[in-house]
Amino acid sequence: MRTTFQTFFLWLCTGVTIMAADATANGSSHWAFQRVMPQKPPAVQNVGWARTDVDRFILAKLEAAGTVPGPSADRRTLLRRATYDLIGLPPTPEELEAFVADPSAEAFNRAIERLLASPRYGERWGRHWMDVVRYADTAGDNADYPVPEARLYRDYIIDSFNADKPYDQFAREQLAGDILAKQGPADGYAERVTATGFLALSRRYATAPFEFNHLILEDAIETTGRAFLGMTFRCARCHDHKFDPVTREDYYALYGLFESTQFPYAGSEEFHSKKFPRSGFQPLVPPKQHEPLIKAHEIRLASLEAAIKQHENERTAEKPAIGSVTNAATRSIDDKLKTLNRELAELKKPGGPAGLPVAYAVAEGKPIDSRLQSRGEPNELGVPVRRRAPKFLSGEESLDIPDGASGRLQFSEWLTRPENPLTARVMANRIWQHHFGRGLVATPSNFGLRGDPPTHPELLDYLSSRFIESGWSVKAMHRLIMRSSTYQQGSVISGQSLVISGQSLVISGQSSVISGQGSGVGKERRVAALTTDLLTTDLLTTDYSRFPRRRLSAEEIRDAMLFIAGTLDLRRPGLHPFPKVSEWKWTQHNPFKELYDSNHRSVYLMIQRLQRQPYLSLFDAPDANVSTDVRTDSTVPLQALYLMNNVFVQDQASAFAGRVMNTASSDEDRVKFACATAWSREPNRKELARAHEFLSQCREELRRTEATAEHAEQKAWSSYARVLLTANEFFYLD
Amino acid sequence: MNAQFAISRRQFLRGTAGSLGTSILGLPPSFSLAAALNDGQVLAPKPGHHPARAKQLLFVFLTGGFSHLDTFDPKPKLQAGHGKPIPAFGLRADESKALPMLGSPFQFTARGKSGLLVSDLFPQLGDLADDLCVIRSMHTDIVEHFQATLAMHTGSSTIPLPSIGAWLSYGLGTLNPNLPPYVVLAEHLPYAGAQVWDSNFLPPDHQGVRLVPGDDPIPNLKPLARPVRLQELERIMLRDANEAHAAARPEDLKLRARMSTFATAAGMMQEAPEALDLSRESDATHQAYGIRAGDQKSFAWQCLIARRFLERGVRVVELIDTGSHDNWDAHGDMATHRPKAQRVDRALAALLRDLKQRGLLEQTAVAICTEFGRTPWTDGVNGKGRNHYAKAFTSLLAGAGVRGGMAYGETDDYGAAIIRDPVHVHDYHATLLHLLGLDHQRLTYRYAGRDFRLTDVAGRVLHPILT
Repeated sequence: MRTTFQTFFLWLCTGVTIMAADATANGSSHWAFQRVMPQKPPAVQNVGWARTDVDRFILAKLEAAGTVPGPSADRRTLLRRATYDLIGLPPTPEELEAFVADPSAEAFNRAIERLLASPRYGERWGRHWMDVVRYADTAGDNADYPVPEARLYRDYIIDSFNADKPYDQFAREQLAGDILAKQGPADGYAERVTATGFLALSRRYATAPFEFNHLILEDAIETTGRAFLGMTFRCARCHDHKFDPVTREDYYALYGLFESTQFPYAGSEEFHSKKFPRSGFQPLVPPKQHEPLIKAHEIRLASLEAAIKQHENERTAEKPAIGSVTNAATRSIDDKLKTLNRELAELKKPGGPAGLPVAYAVAEGKPIDSRLQSRGEPNELGVPVRRRAPKFLSGEESLDIPDGASGRLQFSEWLTRPENPLTARVMANRIWQHHFGRGLVATPSNFGLRGDPPTHPELLDYLSSRFIESGWSVKAMHRLIMRSSTYQQGSVISGQSLVISGQSLVISGQSSVISGQGSGVGKERRVAALTTDLLTTDLLTTDYSRFPRRRLSAEEIRDAMLFIAGTLDLRRPGLHPFPKVSEWKWTQHNPFKELYDSNHRSVYLMIQRLQRQPYLSLFDAPDANVSTDVRTDSTVPLQALYLMNNVFVQDQASAFAGRVMNTASSDEDRVKFACATAWSREPNRKELARAHEFLSQCREELRRTEATAEHAEQKAWSSYARVLLTANEFFYLD
Repeated sequence: MNAQFAISRRQFLRGTAGSLGTSILGLPPSFSLAAALNDGQVLAPKPGHHPARAKQLLFVFLTGGFSHLDTFDPKPKLQAGHGKPIPAFGLRADESKALPMLGSPFQFTARGKSGLLVSDLFPQLGDLADDLCVIRSMHTDIVEHFQATLAMHTGSSTIPLPSIGAWLSYGLGTLNPNLPPYVVLAEHLPYAGAQVWDSNFLPPDHQGVRLVPGDDPIPNLKPLARPVRLQELERIMLRDANEAHAAARPEDLKLRARMSTFATAAGMMQEAPEALDLSRESDATHQAYGIRAGDQKSFAWQCLIARRFLERGVRVVELIDTGSHDNWDAHGDMATHRPKAQRVDRALAALLRDLKQRGLLEQTAVAICTEFGRTPWTDGVNGKGRNHYAKAFTSLLAGAGVRGGMAYGETDDYGAAIIRDPVHVHDYHATLLHLLGLDHQRLTYRYAGRDFRLTDVAGRVLHPILT
């Protein structure tokens, strides 16, 4: 019969038939493990098009393939794209008008700066990072206990992006912020401690505190590996990695870093049943301030407990010999005990001493070099492994870990050295990915041997070295990318690219012969390429000869609907309305399960691990149990049902209609305002005529069903608003 | 190929497919690209790896761990030794903690021509003994409800992976584009919640759609209270807007795919309420299942709905009898099995009979299972209940391709250890996939750099139980 861990071991190996023998040997020459080399932009023919160095890398490859880049996007399309890309919301009609009215070359750069300076920017880009760090507001144990303090880490992420915190510092803080905090300055203390929410949020399992601790640590290792290094380490828990040069020793060397770390406990089934209080939450004020508080708290706690003990002893002594008869003495003791116990319960409330703010964060634990676990079995221990970075990246170099330290700080410093071949590349690629819908490496959290190779390796290195040179500035990368002609291309295939209509594209059975009815030189070649593309990857999006159209994300859809309707609450919400801790008694039989609705931005919605937020998951928001690099992009009928029949959409359409009616008085002006607001463009004549026709049809129908003309008018405009908000033009970004 | 882009390619191609045809033959020319690739629409029907015994799966999950010892695996020696410590048959010393054996409070009788032994908990199912294959040698890996429930659905007891229903939808597609390929009837959330029917890394189209028995079983299915004509006007206006938008972007088939989801959703709005409406079912049918007038949520109601979804070509229909509380988890007293059994026995038997009468059982594989078994000794609380047990338990198979009236596998005299033909959860899954024409070793999906399977690297088809 199999044990858990053997199953786990087998799980890890599913489908893997080749042996590990050569992985280590081959790994050393793998492109991603080579130092980032500064790249000189290649020479190109069409120098007029190549506005920036980024363009030269893209264009050189296009020219080599005999392809030409597409035409530029029109200005409204461009501003809509840039606005969603940077802040996750549409531009306002006023912003569009101002942008269209300013023909200067600097206009787009100014728009980029305006958007980067918006506090909305961090809410959009922070969310990308939250996917990667599997952010959730619950722990993931069998009863899915809430972690009200998790939101501090979420806000830390958002604030860090807004402040353009250097990415190397951002990484160090998340891995070792608690240690950095103690090094000062005092005013950065809370922020740095909070940053380690990255580790604290490692998934919890089962019912007892830290049950399956080896899996909690595995999540810490795996998420660290995927997020910062674009490497998966999980496989090496049981055996040397089958494909990447990651050894078991590498895994347990990292394991030691986290086993030497104290993780917080947020509650679980046994929190309730066995009275394990929440623990390990970290104070947000420096030791000088929090230590006296904690000391006083502990003294008070000890004296209370002693007093209770004493009274209990007295009570036992006073206990009358017969049954439950009480006397004045025992009654008085009982009363006293009741008061004392109440005080004790008050004192034991989570969060330590009253008034001491805490975060769901980690601290230094007892340093230990973890021992190898045979087949990932935590009970079958082998020799200890010195804590260090993975050998295939660091060679024989060890981390200089001081006595008493976990080594997380040294690891984070090693991780963010400019010589590290992966850290800058992985993040530069993520930034590119979120502008173009796809990374130069299409597997953004897997740069290993089984990941996809970069489509433009030189460009990736160019971006990575510029990233480091800029002081790891994420905003500098946005400028670098968005100022390029590549980014500013249109998304519609046109010009010399083959025009293919859905109808004319026919593959006949077995022979894979494709016949297109497109025109233009090089038809056959393009068609052949198309066949390959259809069978292997997305059509024509990997060469950047046009901007790849994308569907809005779950958050963008909801936020934009609220924004357009004028109902979006842009303030940052406080605590989620969780029940009081004293009332927590969830079990696996009756797990925590809530939905907290609000009109705040979607990034602030409460996210659970065991229950998915129904709206967000319907539109492909990630599973908060694991690090997600690329979201799925689904188009399913249940989404259409939501858009047709959910009251949220109805409410936003109705509010939007109200805005439209208040803003303009003639039908034509209203339709123009509505189109500009929802679709960021002006309606053409045909569309104006169709809107008129639609509105009069609605009015005719509504006159019969509605009590007043005002109601009928409001409902007619609501119907129009609903069409705008559910159309492909709203859902897709050109 | 990267899974992510494989998904988007399919979705991208879906546009050409438009609405779904059930056969490649006779499709209009514009469908032939999708047809040639055979997955133009993510849910387009696909051939399996070998001729299938069954087209559809009915998966019945009885939550909480029903006791093998009190249902389908009688142990007279347990009865005889009631109250005494169990002889240590290959058990580790700590396993029974020297707790006394617990005889079953239920009576077993030989049922059907086959004489299969079934306890009086299931009088009606017992009538169908000749159609049931009782597997008495099931075992699983973790004795926690959460993990074991996840395992029974996904093959994984730790990390959430795609559900068996999602795998079947991925492997075979749907038979009715107006309904989801995988429907889960669950009044209450089971252990591990929605993870048990999740598609996980498989395309979201394969995710189970949970119907919550009651007023509003499919979210957003009911139209808002608005004039029908107004909805119609909006639908046409939306179509026109999308048509114009797509016409300017002819290369992007995703746009048309999204347009077609509105048509499918409209199809669901038409067809699902009808599937959920029992008013045309006869009184006799209502009676057979045990559905009272006005009932819109009992397990009996769910069983009849299950038949209606199977009739309409839903690939996988799952029934989950109870949620993560008030279930078969009989720690305190085995007598609590009685009401749980009463809740399901008649309705399940009626469902199987009904399927048989309609010829649907010939094309439907049936699994009736639970997450683990229960200890031969007492739970130790008040001496009448049993604790969780993973080393041996019972689950059933029936329907297309399954030999009825047989017991497969054997446990020792006390039901404590398997002594013949052990069947791991992976084997159970492998057999179900086999019945539906899929080879569990070939049904793979590339994710995070490697191929995943429902059955991990294990799984074995139980050939002796196949017809």
